Amino acid sequence: MSNPLLIFWAQLFGRRGPISRAPSRVHIESSSQASSTIFLVMRRMRAPLIILIVIFSVSVVGLTLIPGIGPDGQPARISLFEAFYFMSYTATTIGFGELPWPFTPAQRLWVTVSIYLSVIGWAYAIGSLLTLVQDRSFRQALALRRFTRKVTRLREPFLLMVGYGRAGELLAKDFDALGQQLVVIDESSDRVDALDLGSYHADIPGLVADAANPHHLSAAGLEHPSCAGVLALTNDDETNLAVTMTAALLRPDLPVVSRTISAPIADRMRAFGNPAVVNPFDRFGEHLRLALNAPASYQLLTWLEAGPGAELPERGHPPAVGRWVMCGYGRFGRELTADLRAANLEVTIIEPAEQGAPEPGVIVGDASEPEVLVRADLPSAVGLVAGTDNDTTNLSMLATARRLNPQLFLAARQNQPTSAALFEAMRVDALLVPTEVVAHEVYAQISTPMLWRFIQEMPARGDQWAADLIQRLRHNCGRELPALWKVKLDGEQAPALSSWLAEGRVVLGDLLRSPEDRERRLRVVPLLLLRDGEAVLTPDGATVLARDDELLFAGHGSERRELESTLVVDSTGAYVLFDQHIPSSWVWRKLSRKSPTPSTPADRGGMTSHRG
Amino acid sequence: MNLEKVIFGFFVLLAATLNFGFFIGDIANPDLHNIYELFAALAVSLIATVLKFGDRTQIGAVHLATSLVADLQLIAASVVWVWAREISAQGMTAVHTASMVSLSGGALLANLVSVVLLVTETVTFHRG
Repeated sequence: MSNPLLIFWAQLFGRRGPISRAPSRVHIESSSQASSTIFLVMRRMRAPLIILIVIFSVSVVGLTLIPGIGPDGQPARISLFEAFYFMSYTATTIGFGELPWPFTPAQRLWVTVSIYLSVIGWAYAIGSLLTLVQDRSFRQALALRRFTRKVTRLREPFLLMVGYGRAGELLAKDFDALGQQLVVIDESSDRVDALDLGSYHADIPGLVADAANPHHLSAAGLEHPSCAGVLALTNDDETNLAVTMTAALLRPDLPVVSRTISAPIADRMRAFGNPAVVNPFDRFGEHLRLALNAPASYQLLTWLEAGPGAELPERGHPPAVGRWVMCGYGRFGRELTADLRAANLEVTIIEPAEQGAPEPGVIVGDASEPEVLVRADLPSAVGLVAGTDNDTTNLSMLATARRLNPQLFLAARQNQPTSAALFEAMRVDALLVPTEVVAHEVYAQISTPMLWRFIQEMPARGDQWAADLIQRLRHNCGRELPALWKVKLDGEQAPALSSWLAEGRVVLGDLLRSPEDRERRLRVVPLLLLRDGEAVLTPDGATVLARDDELLFAGHGSERRELESTLVVDSTGAYVLFDQHIPSSWVWRKLSRKSPTPSTPADRGGMTSHRG
Repeated sequence: MNLEKVIFGFFVLLAATLNFGFFIGDIANPDLHNIYELFAALAVSLIATVLKFGDRTQIGAVHLATSLVADLQLIAASVVWVWAREISAQGMTAVHTASMVSLSGGALLANLVSVVLLVTETVTFHRG
């Protein structure tokens, strides 16, 4: 189908799925707030304008009533029009002089009074206008208007991001690299300024507003037909809950991803629809458990979650057995202790003050004091978690622990982005940066749902499988994570293959050949095959594809374009799949009387497993 | 009693009465139409317009529209007067006077609508 006419025909009469979108049940008027402020501003200009009109009228009328002397020496009054002209240029400080003829002292007296009056009037009016322009609520109203207009004009699908903190910034970079449009709301004007200063390809509209207010969410395009999802990423659990609630009630069809560090809030979020709740502490525990049991799986997971262009992370070698010491038994410590204990590891807890009933293996004391750490018997432990919410405390604990036992596996929680350099210099083995965990998690869930499926099913396949896959990805795509993209083998994305797919003659290994030279394999790694809700991880070359199969590939853009030409152009498809040459124009096809479908399948001798 | 309402009603009515005072009389006779009355009508009408700024209700919008119409007509009438007195060679002829007064007549109609709106608003006002 390289012929433009054929493509046009297929576009016009090809089957297409109906585009369904649940309409919003409630409509929220968001522009009324903005316009009300404009009205307030008009109202505030009333007094200065009226004073100006009064001063002007009195001066003009007064000037016409005072007798003057004409050029012929006879008493003459100047007309209303002349007086208006004179006052206009005098009051605005232009001052052409005494027109139409020189004034008498009486007239000059009146003009002096009216000059002072009119200067006061103008100063008052202009001053009020400038004050209004500086006014915070007025500027906010203008910003809201501009923002609303920008959002209304968006025609491509966009994600509504609430909270542009550290996590939001990381995510915005990832999504911008994928070409995904965003709309951002944040409470702090500093953060929205940072958004404006950020170097993004797309123009990302940002609004300074409280996102817990449904009006602001509506202004940010929650009810826009192109809104593709809502990300609640603020530091405040209540706000995230409010956003989740609003989105679930107004747009039940939208996917919602919400961040929280509290389990009860997570439960309350789940009461509304089916939001994906990201708890960074919880996820870090799961990651640490995965890292202990399957270092290669963990390496693959962090690589895939890090977004396009990420370097392959180092594979750690954490101790699989032994006793752990947990410093800081807050929310994070509790989550992590539960995870470690679930992995059948012994955990010694150090907590500053006794809370409730003493548990076994709890040492009471300040973990930043070296003697308390000595009591935890570090030389016999294998790992230490510095999990307080204070970076200085965490760093000093790590330093003391390393002095007492240099072999210790050190895990730490980083709270402030500014401490990143210190933790890096400390060379900790596992570092939790809550904002980064959130960013990676949300990226994996939103960028393509198939990646999320892959990540969920991946740990079950074992460590050796993950190590092999990393090898294969490195071999085909290099040390930097290639773009991940999905293909659905339907009439829209793979029109050239539809008849062959129905006959069951398309084999994955053949599909991944180069259209220029079918002996060359495309440097593309199929990660996941999704068919009728069933997922097959890393399908091998012998897999026979069917209609409506969904595939997730990893590979560079140039390879992707080659594969796309195979999927769309049927003569290319015939060459790549069956090594047959068919004419690409309709007339020549009729003349040559060749069916675009080859009668015999190509020999499958050259088809081997696609493992690299 | 609301002082804002008093001032508002005062200016709306004064604009209408001044306009009426200027309009009444033989349409072509310049002696019967005092230019100071036209000036006062225009100034008061401008003040009434500014007073109507910033009202979000439907009736407020119509109020503002009628005032703008009256201002426009009165400004046109003033321009006709300036033209006749200062620019044209014939001075205040019957033709010029008639066109000036009829323009102010149009403004009077707009001002009357304003007054009707004011009265309607007052009559339908219920103290909840």
